Amino acid sequence: MADGAPILEVEGLSKSFGSWSLDDVAFVLSPGRVASLTGANGSGKSTVLRCIAGLTRFEGTVRVCGVPVDDGVDARRHLAYIPQTVALPATATIGEVLELFARLRGADLDDLPIPDGFLRPWSTRIGTLSGGHRQRVALAAAFVGSPRVLLLDEPVANLDEEGRTFFWDLLSGLRDEGVTALVAAPAFSSGAPAAVADHSIELSDGKVVSSGPLLRVVDEPVSSGDEEETAT
Amino acid sequence: MTGPVPALAGWEFRAAVRSRWVLGTAVAFAALAMTVTLLGLRSIRGLGLTGAGPTSNSLVNLGVLLPSLMGLLLGAGHLASAREQGLLSMIGAQPISRRAIVLGSFAGLTGSLWATIAVGFGAAALVISGVASSWEVVPLLALVVATLGLSAACVAIGVALSAFANGRTQALALSIVVWIIFAFGIDLALAAVAPVVRLGPGVLLTAILLNPIEAARVLALLAAAPDGTALGPFGSYLIGTFGREGAAAILVGALAVWTVAGLWLAQIALRRKDL
Repeated sequence: MADGAPILEVEGLSKSFGSWSLDDVAFVLSPGRVASLTGANGSGKSTVLRCIAGLTRFEGTVRVCGVPVDDGVDARRHLAYIPQTVALPATATIGEVLELFARLRGADLDDLPIPDGFLRPWSTRIGTLSGGHRQRVALAAAFVGSPRVLLLDEPVANLDEEGRTFFWDLLSGLRDEGVTALVAAPAFSSGAPAAVADHSIELSDGKVVSSGPLLRVVDEPVSSGDEEETAT
Repeated sequence: MTGPVPALAGWEFRAAVRSRWVLGTAVAFAALAMTVTLLGLRSIRGLGLTGAGPTSNSLVNLGVLLPSLMGLLLGAGHLASAREQGLLSMIGAQPISRRAIVLGSFAGLTGSLWATIAVGFGAAALVISGVASSWEVVPLLALVVATLGLSAACVAIGVALSAFANGRTQALALSIVVWIIFAFGIDLALAAVAPVVRLGPGVLLTAILLNPIEAARVLALLAAAPDGTALGPFGSYLIGTFGREGAAAILVGALAVWTVAGLWLAQIALRRKDL
């Protein structure tokens, strides 16, 4: 993939479930972008993420790092997906969950970019964890193997304030390293905060109603050559 | 071992053996196997006989009926549950093929079921070992092999049902219906048709090959009585037509075909359905 080329391209993405349909969704994300995918319940956020992850058949084109997702395994090497709710087996330990995803990705857990304190000791069984800490394990699993595109469906819904801070700091650091994330949330206020997100895509009833870059809040003055734009 | 299939197999095996369901069925199977064995030995002693050969035969029905039900339920509950829990979508988004998901799940679940069967037959073997002569162990070993083959086929069929079903409840209900058809339905249908239509041995053989439970049962009985007497006139036909080894190979082949067909269908379903 050439420098500066889009890392995630979605064109004409359509999917029908009975009378409801996702209709002609299109957007492009560059490397190092965090996009908020917002919309009311049933607007199609989860379906968009599932289509990009190759979990749902669809019409249209989705490319990750230039590779069509319907080509199978190759595109999925570059992405990770966390569903809105995931029930990890209660009898497994945190270490076993992470080890599984490391083996599936052919990755090394030594490279896992998880800050100290984000997870309980790895020998802890999932069944003894609170809902928030189980969500942290699922999120940690998404970072195994350093995927370049993260598809996160309401990732902080079960997290407390400390967990959210940990997570957004982590995502912010990964963004600065060139990782792209698409973060679904019912409303912008409950999704990626302005300090992290730099792109917004809003869905309504299966259609994109607005899409574009956001003004990022920064501490230091922005020079005139910076690319940041006003939210659309 | 590396690669997604061993990784998933190990994961599924650990999850299964830690579950109360598998532990419970292992204990239940062991208790039933010991009970059947002890009752069989007592009956033999009551007739003034020695040895343990007929006891192995009495284990055949237990060895084909219970593990086949366990295999179907274990396989059927698996992918459908993982789909409902969101775990299947997390795994499906990894850079692995749908085939690897099916094969890894199948290997892990079959391994856990084989461990359960080993516990059950191990308990029976402990009881029999005190009174059996060495040649009498052969039928028991043949039954174990037939049961392992049958359980693998049933796990594969269960995984296929799970992949096609729209939910765990539907998958489990389908698996019970399939088990009833295999365990009793086909036999009852043949019994109903027999008075009206003369069924030749070829039709019976076809019916057996189309039913993995019956194929395993015939395989075990064939090993118990090498001359085929345990199977009546059909046994004579089977050995007369194919020879003992040929007949055993056909029956083993039928179980293998069921296993491969189940896995193939599961893979097709996972490719076509949303995860």
